[in-house]
Formats: sequence, structure tokens, C-alpha cells
Amino acid sequence: MSWPLLFLIFLGLSLGSGLCILHPQVPLRFIRIHIGMLALAPIAALLGLIFSKGDYFLGVLHFDSLSWLWSLFVLTIGLIVQRYCVHYLLGDKSYRKYFALLTITTSADALAWLSDDVRLLFIGWGLTLFCLTVLIGLRKEWKVAQHAAKVSRGYLLASLLALGLALFWLAYSTGEWRLSTILTPDTLGLLSGYEKTGINLLLLVSALIPAAQWPTHRWLLDSVVTPTPISAVMHAGIVNAGSIMLARFSPLFNGDLAQIILLVIAGLSVLIGTGIMLVQVDYKRQLVGSTIAQMGFMLVQCALGAYLAAITHAVLHGLFKSTLFLQAGSAAKAKAPVTSKDQAASVIWTVAGGALGTLIGLGLWLTAKGEGYQLISALLLGWSIALAWAQLVAAHPTATGKIAGFFLLVAGGLVFKVVHTLFYNILQGTIDSDFHQPFILSIIVLVVLLAAIVCGTWLIRRNNKVSFALYLWLVRLGEPKKRLAESHPNYLAQLLTKEGNYQ
Amino acid sequence: MSTASTLHYDEGFKPNDRSLQEIVKKASEVIVPLGDINNFAARSPWAGLEHQTFDQVAKRLKETGDIDMYPNHAIVSSAARKGEIDLAILEDGLNAWLDEQLICLPRELAKEYCRNVLQQESNSFTTRELPGAKTAALWYSKYFSPTKNKHSILTMSQRVQQPGNESLVENVNLHVIKWCKLYLDESLAVWSMPNKEAGFYAAWRQMAKYDRTLTHETRRQLDQLNQNAEQALMEVLHNMDIPKTEWQEYLEAHLLALPGWAGMIRSREEESEALLLEYLAMRLSLEYVFVKEYLPLPEPVQDDVQLIEKLVISWIEFGRVRLEDWAALEPEEIKARLMLANRFDSFVQGRLWLEAWEKTYEKNLQECLPTNPTTIEEAKTIAAQFAFCIDVRSETFRRHLERSGPFETFGTAGFFGLPIETNELASSNSHNSLPIMFKPSHKVLESTDRDQLEQYIERAHTAHSVGKTFKTMKQNMLTSLLLPEISGPWLSIQTLARSFIPQKAGEVMRQMSEKWLKKPMTKLTLHSPDEGAGELPVGFTEEEQVFYVRQALQTMSLTENFAPLVVICGHGSQSRNNPYASALDCGACGGASSQFNARVLATLCNLSNVRETLAKEGIHIPEDTVFAAAEHITSLDELKFTYLPVLPVAAKNSFELIQGALPTVRKSVNAERLAQLPTLHPDCPDPEEEVRRFADDWSEVRPEWGLARNAGFIIGERTLTEDCDLEGRVFLQNYQWQLDPTGDILASIIAGPALVAQWINLQYYASTVAPHYYGSGNKATQTITAGVGVMQGNASDLLFGLPWQSVMMSDEEAYHAPIRLLVVVQAPKYRVQQILEQNAEFRQKLQNGWIRLSCIDPDGIWHSFS
Repeated sequence: MSWPLLFLIFLGLSLGSGLCILHPQVPLRFIRIHIGMLALAPIAALLGLIFSKGDYFLGVLHFDSLSWLWSLFVLTIGLIVQRYCVHYLLGDKSYRKYFALLTITTSADALAWLSDDVRLLFIGWGLTLFCLTVLIGLRKEWKVAQHAAKVSRGYLLASLLALGLALFWLAYSTGEWRLSTILTPDTLGLLSGYEKTGINLLLLVSALIPAAQWPTHRWLLDSVVTPTPISAVMHAGIVNAGSIMLARFSPLFNGDLAQIILLVIAGLSVLIGTGIMLVQVDYKRQLVGSTIAQMGFMLVQCALGAYLAAITHAVLHGLFKSTLFLQAGSAAKAKAPVTSKDQAASVIWTVAGGALGTLIGLGLWLTAKGEGYQLISALLLGWSIALAWAQLVAAHPTATGKIAGFFLLVAGGLVFKVVHTLFYNILQGTIDSDFHQPFILSIIVLVVLLAAIVCGTWLIRRNNKVSFALYLWLVRLGEPKKRLAESHPNYLAQLLTKEGNYQ
Repeated sequence: MSTASTLHYDEGFKPNDRSLQEIVKKASEVIVPLGDINNFAARSPWAGLEHQTFDQVAKRLKETGDIDMYPNHAIVSSAARKGEIDLAILEDGLNAWLDEQLICLPRELAKEYCRNVLQQESNSFTTRELPGAKTAALWYSKYFSPTKNKHSILTMSQRVQQPGNESLVENVNLHVIKWCKLYLDESLAVWSMPNKEAGFYAAWRQMAKYDRTLTHETRRQLDQLNQNAEQALMEVLHNMDIPKTEWQEYLEAHLLALPGWAGMIRSREEESEALLLEYLAMRLSLEYVFVKEYLPLPEPVQDDVQLIEKLVISWIEFGRVRLEDWAALEPEEIKARLMLANRFDSFVQGRLWLEAWEKTYEKNLQECLPTNPTTIEEAKTIAAQFAFCIDVRSETFRRHLERSGPFETFGTAGFFGLPIETNELASSNSHNSLPIMFKPSHKVLESTDRDQLEQYIERAHTAHSVGKTFKTMKQNMLTSLLLPEISGPWLSIQTLARSFIPQKAGEVMRQMSEKWLKKPMTKLTLHSPDEGAGELPVGFTEEEQVFYVRQALQTMSLTENFAPLVVICGHGSQSRNNPYASALDCGACGGASSQFNARVLATLCNLSNVRETLAKEGIHIPEDTVFAAAEHITSLDELKFTYLPVLPVAAKNSFELIQGALPTVRKSVNAERLAQLPTLHPDCPDPEEEVRRFADDWSEVRPEWGLARNAGFIIGERTLTEDCDLEGRVFLQNYQWQLDPTGDILASIIAGPALVAQWINLQYYASTVAPHYYGSGNKATQTITAGVGVMQGNASDLLFGLPWQSVMMSDEEAYHAPIRLLVVVQAPKYRVQQILEQNAEFRQKLQNGWIRLSCIDPDGIWHSFS
């Protein structure tokens, strides 16, 4: 039996068991079995990723390393989150519904990006977004959650409409429904320049909104009212779909004006998201700010044509952010049991770290194949190494501490390298990577990033009118509007008064 | 001023003479100061209101915030169905109430009406429309006018009626929440609020004019505010025409709007004086600019006819009469009936239900305890004695421990009478390890020799540097972009392990951390204080050592018949990813494990000079008796020894006996507790493993039940309680009145442990009856804010009670039984009366219904003081 078929059977099984839970007669202990069922599909996807070679079509589904990887990723997140819900949401009125809806959300998400038919893609992605908004509003009694669901529904519907229009336009103009046919140079050649730009702009909108890019970031901020695991699935498996969407449509997208617009909006979102993260004092809202920035970075990678890097970033960020959400209960960590003396690290050691970072960064860039994005990547990596060195190595007063820190640094670096090589090997060939943006774009991005850091640092220290205004502007971007917050969760008092529920 | 009003000025003290500062100080009693969530210590939210009766406070909170202080009908009727409320007792209560009413109505008629109301509807004033009732009401208003209660004062923003029936309070609240969290932020934001050092009010005033969520006009007005907070507050109060006599209550109403944030501000007053006044100045200024256009507001009018209509409807619904039949009634009777319905309001109903519930509990407890408990058993050989905290969770553990071997257990408050501030090894964070209403008077440090200490610090430093690097990289824009790719693989491994093998993952992480840190053996600094100037003395003088040991032993009534091994047991809890972890620790140690205090006491008890002095006073501790310390881990039902000196033969035998018994104890307590916790597979084959999962699973919202269902506090000998299963609902304090001729020990128990227990009890009570206001909301939708507490959803008040999941079995079923603490003292009645005479604060608690009190006299007769 082929891997795709096995995978689909397992996916069907998990959907079936997810829907079973909805039936009130099914005992709750069945959920444990459901979790087991849920684990089958990602395992099949992993095996498929390892063992199946090349492209494979099964009906309208297209299995290649990219779609295998994405399914594996989305379904694993779904599995982790549902396992988390088993105890976390126990006692919730809508307990059963969470499992059914989460199963549909992640399965539809996986299917959408496996699909080769634009209609199925639209339906799959539409179903994903629809279930997500239902999940956000599952607390019927809580007005705030209802409002948040409404806001999200508005934004996501707009993005879905844009996607639908784009896909329909594309199919209409080319006369084809299959992506594998549409996205060949011959078929794309049928499109006129304005058609291309129009479709690309629509695609752009449909990628920017789920990624909560400025100015469409509101929905993601307001939907943190949802239970923590739902936030985890949202930030891990849904906001980053833009990367796979743009990667899939890259033959159409590359070199278009829309790509430059994307670069501008995503670049701005990096700055704004980081700004929100810097001024926010709520743990969950900080995480949202960080997601906005990270998704901005991912889309900058797309805009620069570095799709492979973008997919890698999307997947690793998903795992990273879902973990941070799931452990949100630990954010008010008690003070460290041992007070570490914050000694100023010696100048020599810090400089050595800086030098090491610069060297590695330079080395990376010089050995890279001249892609513009490599310049940014080299800068970030060099900077990270210098900073990690300062913390892990230079800050230790004793030799043993320095050695231990050094080993940690090397271990981190090695794993980073291995994981990236792995992703590169898996994804190579699935995405057209011949396209390169003009080098100057990368330079501009770099300059803007560095300038933002310099200006930001200067403003924070200055304490003048401009910095007050900027500070409050960032606070305002991150704060909920009226109706999206209430002083006390009154719905709990209402739940208490409902008689007849008390059995 | 009527009963509903809350101003009780001291006699002869005119409010007009008081400065605004004093008024704010007085007003601040409606809220309680709050600590960080990491030191979650139980506080009664009504601690400052006990000079009013429970009923008065209930009425006021209902009027100002629509908060029910009495358990609602759904909770009580569910309790009645479970048999926790004896309906005969409810009937007695109703009769007693009717006796007081002096209304000319046939008793049976009145009783039937009231009984129906009690049984059927949470609120007799149904809003149901009934044709004809209105006309009837209009007619009856001639005979009868409902007593006019003076209403509690509402804030202007509450009173403004906007279109859509929305008040302006939410607008004010949202702004206040924003500024509070920005100002109070401890660590979470990288770019923190500018100008904080200028003070709250000044910083806000300077910043607010740049806040574009406000209109241009509003910002202009804010810019014109007085620079001085006190002046500004005064001006705003004048501008809104609040009479000076009402200032205090007006400010109180504002403090009650967001009791969490206001409470956090109040607790910071130690660092920054008059912070609460600055908070109020900000809040009222904002209110003023919002309500200005609506001023002056019309005075609220009470609609008599509407009220009477409700009363008529209530009679028709519960008195089983038809509207037509009413016409035939004499005016006098109509008046009497309306009066009855008016008086029998939701507060009376709530009170009757609550008291019936409490009395039922008292009756059951009375039946459970033996009637003649003072029979002295033949002395059996005791292998070991254990002193546990009074915590209700100790009761279950002690019961099983005693049954597993020749062990004797004692109950005493978990700080063991030691007013200490503690510092763990190499930590500069000190913790006040005593009940929060006391101040520490000694400092105890953990120490070790220099070499080992330095190596330990170095190892700890390395262990923390990973987390610190993560944080630094997260806060830097460039590195934060790459951080997911660097840390993602590591975090994924951790996530997978925590999700699918939580117990194993927890175990491995603990072991790794222990192996790496290798915490050296430590000593405690207990001796010869060198008095630092102004600072707390480190350690104790010899006299103090003797004093604290004597006091501790006397308080737990362990002054003779020492076993070879005496184990002082502190308690702590283990849970993961739980912001409320410290709520599960020892409440008598300020929300931390009490093992440190246990270790201090055990070490002091082993000092030879202490023993010599005590022997001279008649407390003979045999030479081969050894004191050890242990930690009772309540989420696992484990007893872990934390201090074990060299043991002589007898003690060693005892120790082995204990070690042999502990696994069985653990197993049986595990099973008993597991039966109470909601789980997907109740017939779990391995309870021990499941309990471990509860403690180690990062997705578990109820790692244990904590002190939920606490209901009683028994001060007496263990012989009184050892034969009954008290279901882990009772605080147990050992006390032998014969050994306390002066009554001092009882007085100190009432002033300390009983107060802690009452605060815990009322905190659980409040979190259950008003989960949205006094509880902490739903754990699943909380967010930690400013590093100090939690908010619900996108933004809310700083929530400070227990979360929904800690008191509720599910969204539909309560677990905690909200009843007030019943204190039972085993002593002659006159002893208890003596306490009531001496301790005015305690007497006030009892008289105003904040606690319940009974005693069992030497003849085994039960006297109730409530």
C-alpha cells in the first residue's frame, strides 16, 4: 500500500473519532483512544516524508516533500494541542466540541495544502478558518469571546474572499483547475501583466491577514481571549500558512510588483510587532506581538525569494510559539532560587564574542551562493552568536563556567546547523529557487533593521515627546478596544446561577 | 444613614475635619492589599469590613456591584439534593425568622408562602409580567409603601445611562487597567513606562495627553489637571458636587470597581506613600472628563409601584392566590402580605439557606465526634510522633498514617510559631515565612562553607544562563527573529516529552537539575545574633531559642511522653505550569513550603542547651529522643525527610518503621484523593502513577484540590477526632485546656492559626459565590500580566482569588461548599467566653457573622456561640 493512501485512511480515522466524541452517549474516556487515533496520521506523514520520493498524485492531492512536511507539522501540532486539552479543558461545557473542531481544523489545514485542485484548496482552507473562528467563540456565555470571534470572522472572511477571487480568476483566465498545470511557465504565459498583478495582490491580501500583518493585526491580538491551547494551534499552524501559499504560487508571484508591496508591509510589521512586544506587559499579548514580527520576517523571506528559509522559519516558529503558549502558566516564574551575581563581563571576552560573531557571519555570507537573503541571515546569525557568547561564556567568572557555557553554545550551534541542513535537503527541489531579488533590496532591509534598532534605542533613552507618543502608539496598537475586554468575567457568575445543570 | 449604608463614623468625630489623606486611608479598608501571585497567601477579601455584619456587606455589594455574597439558589439546591442541607433545619430557621416579624398574618399562610419562595426561585422579585398586577399595585400603593432603604452611593460613571444602557464604568475601567499594568510592571516589558520614577499620578498626567485613544478635547482637559494628586482629587470631587460627608463612600465605590488593581496599588504603599490617593486621583479625573457632559445627573428615584407590583406577582406565584381573590382581602391583610414579601427578600432567603447548610454541617460533625472523648487510653508505646500543619490536607494524611503503625500525630500551624524571614542557600530573595498578618522578627539563613558555596553558585549560574540567554535574545529585535530557529528544535523535544510522557519527563528534568546543581549540605544560622543596625537579627539568642521551642511544644500540647523520634512536618506542593502553585503551599508560611520552618524548629529542639533549660521548667525531653524534619508533599502524599540527625538505636528503629509504612500510607491517601478529582478514567489501575501525572502534567489545571471544601477548625485533643473521617475538611489544632491554666495558649491559637484558617475559608467562600469578582476566573483564558498577577481574556481587573477550576468540579458543578468556618474548641465554656471578652476582634467576627464558634465542654456537651 502506498504511503499517501495509508495517510489518508489514518486522517479519515482521526476525523471519524473526532466526530464520534460529539455524541453525548460516547463516554469521555473515549477521548484517550481518540488521541491515539490522532497520532497515526502524523506518523504516516513522517514515514511518507522519509520514504516516498518525488512527486506523487493521488486524485486531486499532490504529495511532495513540501506537502508531506506541512501535513506532518500541522497534524503534530494538532496532536500536541489536543493532548493538552484533555486535562486542561476538562469540565468545560463545550469539552467535546473542542476535540471535534480541532480535529477538523488541522485535518482541513493539511488537506488544503496537499490539494492540487484550487477548489479543494479553497474549501480546505475555508473550513480551517471557519472552524478556527468557531473555536474562538465557543464560550457562548462570554460576550468578550463572542466579540473576538466576530472580529476574527470579519478579517478571516476577507482573506478567504481574496483567496477565492484570486483562485477563481486564475482558473478562469487559464482554463485550468489543477495547480500543477496552472503553475507551469506555459500556462502562466497566458496571463496578461495586469491579470498577474491583480491575482498576486489578492493572494497577497489572503496571506497577510492570517499572518496578522499590520494593519490587519487586530484579530490575532483580540483572539487571545480563547483558551490557551487554541491560541497555540492558531499561532503554530494557521498564521504561518502564508509561507506555504506563497511558496506554492512562487512561479506566479516571483518578480511581481506585489512582492515589493509584501516586502514593505512585512518589513513594517516586523518593526511594529517587535514594538508591541517591547511595550506590552501581558504575557500572551507579548507573544502575539512576537508572532506578528516573526510572521513579518517570514514574509520578508518570501518577498526576497528565500522560500525555503521561510518554510523552515514557519515550521520552527510554530513549534516554538506553541510551546511558549502551552507553558504560559509558568510566565510568572518565581525568582531564581539562586541569585546570580550580574558581573560585567570582561571587555576582552565580549570583544572576542563580537569578533567570533562577525567572523562566522562573514564566512557564511562569503560561502553562500550570493543570494541577497543570505546577507540578512548572516547578520542575524553573527549577531546571535555574539550575544549568546556574551551570556553563556563571557559572563562566567570562572574557567569551568566558561567551558560549560562554550559547550552549550557549540551544542546549540550544531543542532541549528543540522536542523537547517535537514530542512534544506528535504525541501530542495520542491520550490523553484532560481529566482533572486535584486541584491539592493536585501541591503535596504538590512539598513532599515539596523536603523530601527539605533532609533529605537535612542528614543527609549531620550524620554521626550516623540518617545512618549511612540510608546503610547505601540501600547494602543496592542490594547483591546471596548467590548473586547470586561473588568470581570461576569459569565462565570451566570454559569453559577443556571439551575438544573447541577446534577 | 440606614443599615444598607456603610458609613460608621466614630462617635464625635466629624468627617469634615478629616483630611483627604485620612479619608482615603479609611476608604482603603474596603479592599485588601495584594501580594504577587508567586507568594499567593490567602486573604479574606472582607478583612477590612468585619465591623459591619455579613448581611450589611452583602447588601452593599449587591447594590454597588451586583455581587451575591450568599450562595445562590443553584448551589444551595444542589447541596440540598446531596443531603448537605437538612430541610428541617431550614424550616426551623424560617420559623425563627417569622417569629421576629410581628406581621398580622396566619402563621401557616406566611410559612407556606416563604417555603415556596425558598424552594423554587432564587429571586422572589421575578420580572415576569402579569396583566392586572400593575393596576393592582397602583391601588395598593395607597395602603403600603415599602420601607425606603437609603441606597449605597454609586459612582457617577455607574449612574450615567448611555444609549444602549451601557454605563461609562467600563470606559473608565479599561483606561485604569491599562495604566495600572504599565505602571506596576515588574519585569515583563523591555520598554517600560517612561517617567515611572516621578510617581504614578505625575507619570500618568504627563503621558495621558499623548494617548490617542482619547479625544482631542479629553486630552486637553487632562492636560489642565492639577499637578498635585491630592489637589486634583479634591477639585474633581468638588466639580462633581460630591458632598464632603459622602467622600469616603464615594471613594470606596471607586475602589470596589477594580478591587484587584486597587489592592495591588495599596500593597505598594509601603514603597511609595499615598500611592492609593494617586490612583484615585487618576481614576476620578478620568471619570470626570468622561461624565462631564452628562452633569448634573438626575437623582435616582425609587419606583414604589413597580416594587409593589413585583411583590404582588411574587405572592401570586408563591402564595398560590389568584389576582382576583386579592380584591376580596382586607386592606390590612394586603398590607401585611406585601410587607412580608418585601421583608422576605433575597438576602433573608440566602441567609436562611446558608445558615441551614452551616448548621447541618455542625450537626453532622457533632454526631461524628465521640460524646465522651476524654477517656484516657492505656499508654501504648509510641514509635514516633509527627507534628503536622493544621492544613485540612494534613487530616487525611494523618488519619492514614496513624492507622499504619504506632504513630501519634499533632496539629499546629505550619510556621510553628517561628516569626522568621528565610533565605535559601545563595539566594538574596528573602521570604517572610509566617502568616501575612505578622511581621518577622528573626532572619534565618541557609549556609555552607565558602568553597562549596562558590562552586554551587557557579553551577547554578550556568544552569540559569541558558534561560537568561533565551530571554536576552528574545528581547533583541535581530536575535529574536532567529530565536525560533535556534531554540525551536529543543523546545519541540521538551514539548513532546511533556505531552506524552509527563511523569518520566518531569522525573528526568528533576534528576538532571539535582545532579547538575548538587546542592551541598547546609546549616542554618540559628545562634547568637549580631544585631545589624536596623535590620532583623540573624538567628536567635539562647533565651529566644528556648522561648520558641517551649512555645511550639506547648502550642501543640507535646510536653511529655516524647517518642524516640519526633518528626516536624512542613508541607509544600508540586505542580507544573501552574501560576497558582503557591496557593497550594502552606498558607501559614506566606504561600511557600513550610519545610524550612520545620527544619528550624527540629534543629532548635535538638540543641542540648535548649533541652537543659526546658528540663528545669518541667519539660523533659529524653536524651535519646531525636527531632527530625520532613516535608509533606500534598500533591503526591509523600513524606520526604529534609533534616535527619544521627539517630540512636530506638529512633533508628522508629525511622525504619516509618519508612516501611509510608508506601502504604501514600497508596491509600492517593486512592482517597483521586476519587475526588475529576479524571477521564476513574478506575485507573495504578492510582500512584495517576497522582504523579496530576503533579507533573503541564496541562493539568487541578493538580490537587488544595483546601477546597474546608469547613471546620477543631481546637482540641486528637483523641476527640482520631476515630472519625473528617474528609479532609477540617483544620486540626492540638490543644489540651488542662495544660493551659491561664488561657494564653488558646488566646494565641485564636489570634494566629484560627485567623489564618478564617482567611483561607473566606477566600474559598468568596471565590465560589462570586467567581468573577473575588475568584480568579477561568484558568484556560488567563494571561499573566506585569509579572505580578493574572487577568482574564484581553484585559480585566487583576484577579486575586482562587481560579474557577480550584473550586468547581466543572462548569456545571461546584466542588467547594461555601460555608463559613466553624471553630470548635474543646474546653470549658468559660474559657471560650474569656477569649471572647479579651479578643475584641474575634468577638466582632463572631457577632457580625464572619466566623462560627462552638465549644465542647469537659462533659462532652456542645455549646454553640453563633
